[in-house]
Amino acid sequence: MTDTTWPYLDVHQSRTHDPTPYEYKLAATLEEVFTKDGHELTDVVRGLNSRQVHAPDGTPWTEESFRTEIHRLGA
Amino acid sequence: MPLSRQATVEHIYATGLRNQWHPVVPSSFVAPGAMRKVTALGEPWLLFRRSDGTLAMLADRCPHRSAPLSLGIHLGDRVACWYHGVEVATDGTVSAVPGLPGCNLEGRKLVTSLPVREVGGAILAYFGDEQHPEPAELTLPEPLTDPGTDAFLCYAEWNVPWRYAVENLLDPMHGAFLHHESHSMYDGDTTAKFRIRETDRGYFFEKTDQRGVNFDWVELCRTGVDWVDLEIPYPLSAGPGGPFGIVGMVCPVDERRCGVFFWRYRRVRGWQRDTWRFLYRTLIEQRHWDVLEQDRAMLEALPADADQQENLYQHDLGVVRLRRLFRAGAESQSVTS
Repeated sequence: MTDTTWPYLDVHQSRTHDPTPYEYKLAATLEEVFTKDGHELTDVVRGLNSRQVHAPDGTPWTEESFRTEIHRLGA
Repeated sequence: MPLSRQATVEHIYATGLRNQWHPVVPSSFVAPGAMRKVTALGEPWLLFRRSDGTLAMLADRCPHRSAPLSLGIHLGDRVACWYHGVEVATDGTVSAVPGLPGCNLEGRKLVTSLPVREVGGAILAYFGDEQHPEPAELTLPEPLTDPGTDAFLCYAEWNVPWRYAVENLLDPMHGAFLHHESHSMYDGDTTAKFRIRETDRGYFFEKTDQRGVNFDWVELCRTGVDWVDLEIPYPLSAGPGGPFGIVGMVCPVDERRCGVFFWRYRRVRGWQRDTWRFLYRTLIEQRHWDVLEQDRAMLEALPADADQQENLYQHDLGVVRLRRLFRAGAESQSVTS
């Protein structure tokens, strides 16, 4: 009934699950794209596709498919 | 009433100012239908949530023989003390004395019940003394209410006096040294001049010769709850949206412990918001945590009399002002003044 655990020190407070290998790879590639290619949506789609990091179904990203997938992942 | 006991200047200065709101714990710490014992402003409290989500905060002390109500039983809309079964409603009224029905304790409001609000995933409570039981007006930090701003709360418990944790936030220059090895505060000059700029809700403490490069400014805001606002640039890897901000609050737990609340926020919408949230959860949150651990390691290592033997310089004006504000507040609230 009571919880007196002290201290509460939890690195991850925003996650709903441990990231999958796919999510880790996408995140790391996005950071590389943002660093080297730019911050526009067109840069993101081009950067991911040129690095062969494709959508979950294996097809190249489009702006629409990226918007949909990143909304699923980041909502 | 609990908040009047030992209310000397030193006690208030050490355990937090009264007659204002303070954060207590994250909302998620008290599930529907659950209770949780917490300590705040040096006193034990019981957080009690009904199954419909309604939250109450009671002094953790049965009015009969002072047993902790947190050891008791959740009865839906009231708690039953484990010791003799005395039932206390969420407004602090004794609703039943099962051992002696009709006993004169019944119907009397004998337990302190604090006003509570839930904001940005955190529980805030108003800690008034006997002369100020009605909650002070509360103006929430804009980054937590603005629909164009997205925020994640990070909460941590430190073995640090609450005031040292606030002072750390009014000391931007430590960013260039303590956090030099970090993902966001590696850049900028390691010398600076600072100034204080008064506002109608507190003050800015800011560098005069550098902006937008490191942790270069902070605003103390006193809007019914004490909080700080600050901004730190992200590296290019964090994508569009510019710098991230922090709304910081500190819960005074007791004389040597505090709970820190950091909302990391960013002004992002649409796919940029979704991308930041995805990167935050996957990679960035860990890096922010590593920075916070640098603060915790340093502050927990400070000696108990850290603020008794100092030689301050120009960079400490923000801290000096803060201490003056808190000290004056403690003096005005003291029963011995």
